[in-house]
Amino acid sequence: MKGRVLGILVLLAWGVAKFSFESRLEQRMENTRLGGFKPTVSLRQQAGQAGFIAALGGLRAAVADLLWIRAHTAWHDVQYGRMKLLFDTCTAMQPRRILFWDLSAWHMAWNGAAHIENHEPDPVVRKAKMREFFMVGKDFLQRGIESNPDSWELYERLGTLYKDKLKDFERASKAYDEASNRPGHLEYTRRFAAYALAEVPGREREAYERLMTLFNESEHEWLLTLFRHIQNLEAKLAIPDEQRIWRTVVKFAGTPGKAGSAYAALTDLIKTGSREPAVIEAARALEQKMDIPAERRVKLPAQDKRPTD
Amino acid sequence: MGTPAITIENLTKEFTNPSIFNRGKVTAVDSLSLTVEAGHVYGLLGPNGSGKSTTMKIVLGLVVPTSGRTCIFGRDSRDVESREAVGFLPENPYFYKFLTGSETLDFYGKLCGLGGKMLRDRSRELLALVGLESAADRRVGGYSKGMLQRIGLAQALVQDPRLLVLDEPTAGVDPAGSHDIRDLILRLKQRGITVLLCSHLLSQVQEICDRIGIMNHGKLVREGPLDDLISIENQTELTLENVSPALLAELRERAEAGGARVLGAHKPQQNLERYFLDVTAGKK
Amino acid sequence: MTTESSGPAVAAHASAHKLFSLRRTWAIAANTFRDLVRQKVFYFMLVFGLFLIGTSLLTASISFQGQLQTVMDVCLGAMSVFTMLLAVLATAMLLPKDMEDRTLYTILAKPVSRFEYLVGKLAGVTMILLVATLLMTAAFLVVLYFWQGREIENLQLTEMPERAAAAIAKVKSGTFTSTLFGGIGVIFFRSIVCAGLTLMISCFSTSWLFTVIISLMVIFAGYLVPMARSVWQGPLGTAEVPTHTAILLRLITVFVPDMQLFNVVDDIAVGINVDADVFVRIAGLGAGYLLVYLFVGWLFFAWREL
Repeated sequence: MKGRVLGILVLLAWGVAKFSFESRLEQRMENTRLGGFKPTVSLRQQAGQAGFIAALGGLRAAVADLLWIRAHTAWHDVQYGRMKLLFDTCTAMQPRRILFWDLSAWHMAWNGAAHIENHEPDPVVRKAKMREFFMVGKDFLQRGIESNPDSWELYERLGTLYKDKLKDFERASKAYDEASNRPGHLEYTRRFAAYALAEVPGREREAYERLMTLFNESEHEWLLTLFRHIQNLEAKLAIPDEQRIWRTVVKFAGTPGKAGSAYAALTDLIKTGSREPAVIEAARALEQKMDIPAERRVKLPAQDKRPTD
Repeated sequence: MGTPAITIENLTKEFTNPSIFNRGKVTAVDSLSLTVEAGHVYGLLGPNGSGKSTTMKIVLGLVVPTSGRTCIFGRDSRDVESREAVGFLPENPYFYKFLTGSETLDFYGKLCGLGGKMLRDRSRELLALVGLESAADRRVGGYSKGMLQRIGLAQALVQDPRLLVLDEPTAGVDPAGSHDIRDLILRLKQRGITVLLCSHLLSQVQEICDRIGIMNHGKLVREGPLDDLISIENQTELTLENVSPALLAELRERAEAGGARVLGAHKPQQNLERYFLDVTAGKK
Repeated sequence: MTTESSGPAVAAHASAHKLFSLRRTWAIAANTFRDLVRQKVFYFMLVFGLFLIGTSLLTASISFQGQLQTVMDVCLGAMSVFTMLLAVLATAMLLPKDMEDRTLYTILAKPVSRFEYLVGKLAGVTMILLVATLLMTAAFLVVLYFWQGREIENLQLTEMPERAAAAIAKVKSGTFTSTLFGGIGVIFFRSIVCAGLTLMISCFSTSWLFTVIISLMVIFAGYLVPMARSVWQGPLGTAEVPTHTAILLRLITVFVPDMQLFNVVDDIAVGINVDADVFVRIAGLGAGYLLVYLFVGWLFFAWREL
């Protein structure tokens, strides 16, 4: 009896002592973004009794995977409502798993919306329903970002969603910017931010400056889309002739040992609208020099189809 | 006289009834005092539930007394070191069945602080002593009851204790095995080892104990040297060989003339155990 | 009261007897280990192996992204459940079996203190858990290595080159990380805490089944401690909690270990890096629990009538 009383007293003392240590450690782990998962009543309802218990007992990741596979089955059965519920559960169980957020959003905003587009006859309803799916996708990404503020992937996906689906280029550009500020991001996020900005009315000057920064950084950035956007903006902003990029490219064509990349850049310029005689001349000269067969040489449109806008 | 092997002073042990509905106290041992002198073989007798097992457990420090105290060679039973001098064989012992006989002795030897060559030698010696050399490398799980009892005895002896506490050492053992164990106890006694023996087999107790105590309802009801307790003071037994009926009649007459009374004359009978052992002796 | 209460009079006798002897404790630990091994506890490794193969086959049959991740999640989850169950089941039978077979009498009738006995038993189980964790880790790493290779192949086939290169680099650097091994270490630590808890419970319980049930209940409740604690700390809308529920939750917080703190593998599998100091704190907390459980177990056991 004495031993039991003493034992319980020791346990009590330890319980009180450990309390603050445990809550501080929990806080610390929260800060490292461990344990972002919180068991909640709604999760219990979603995962079912057995799933919830298993999830609490150290099989949370495995249960989430299982539900994820079920969501995949639902996709094959074209049950988008069920998919959304399962995605909600999976992401609640594993909020740190970026793939879950990313693919949940993709399934909703791309596949789900495409399904409506192909199957809804009434154009008004179709438009409304598609928008609904876009918003669900956006919601997944925003919640995913809340749980994973360091993820460049989710911001990148969000940017694409704004750009391709919601046509909100300003927000798209902002999302790409966020992506390019995060560790591990791929280089194209910076370009995409600038490209999206180029589409925003009233911010052409800013977009032009950012694109030029990219252009001046290195010839690795000289891509077809970059040339297209810059040339469009040069026209729109009435950039003085001597500052236009074709001059830089033509000058570059004279650099020894750079014939290959210079020719690629010149053809890209032509493809995206440049009709400057110096550009065409430089391109032809390189074709001669590099002995490019006729069928692979850059073709000029019969009529100058330079965009007027 | 040296320090007694066991001293029990005014020992009382009460158990709380485990039933929640009837939380009374049960007195298992009631104000027991008793001394076992070093070198003796002491038999503690009593019916089931008389408190002898509890007494033994208190002596070994397995149970804490309610009041009073027990000592082994002057050391309080509650101190672990008091058990350095004791070897204990519980009733129907059972060991780790996945260990072999020699591993079992090895384990108990290490618990007593032995090790190395000394322990190996000791273990071999004990296996020989209890006749288990051939079973040394067999797992204890496959041992017969008698073999378990013998490995139990070897285990009790592993640290060469001065006191041996044996609880029903021959329970469930066949007569030959039981006889061996009895002989072993007598040999140990010759080596000066004190033995506390609890048994129901009164004939066996009678054969080997110097002194006995009889317990009932937690109290010691009789205690003393065996011979004193059971001999009938005013009678004498005479055993004769090749006596003729005439001589027997004459002896009877003489006796009555001298004032004695002859209570009976009959052929002495061989002890059944002895007979059984003789008959089965060659069969092993 | 029992063994450790040696007064000056006893100390004079106890010249040769140490209060705590590593030799005796080690004898009990080694014996416990050997006994469990010979009881074929490692046969469960076979089950674990089959489980790994089954998971692999199942994952392979579902062509979906993140197979490597799934294998990792399921294997780590299985490891944490297996070690926890092994810890509880193996520990729960130690004391009842010794008592039932009366081997406990023969052991404690030797100059062995009850504390040494308990420490020895726990050390034996710890050795079993260590070996089991190492074996499972080895099997897991083999499976993981195989799936890493497959994941890289898949990425090469399905992703755009620029993304694929980055993703492959991530898979390569993110699979066998120090965090992963730290996480496995936490699994091991958690299993010892479970063993300590079970041993403590078996020190006052009267049956094997009771010990198992109570231990599992406490461990399960341990996963709810963060919820209970949030009620105590009050920021999460506690106004609606009735008084008796609040009292119950407080009792849980005090008496039950927070198992969620030991449940880092679910997050580690996602590739989150954990600072070394978090591991150190978790280990420290585990050690604290172990010592307390051992001490309380001893308090229960020291006064127990055998």
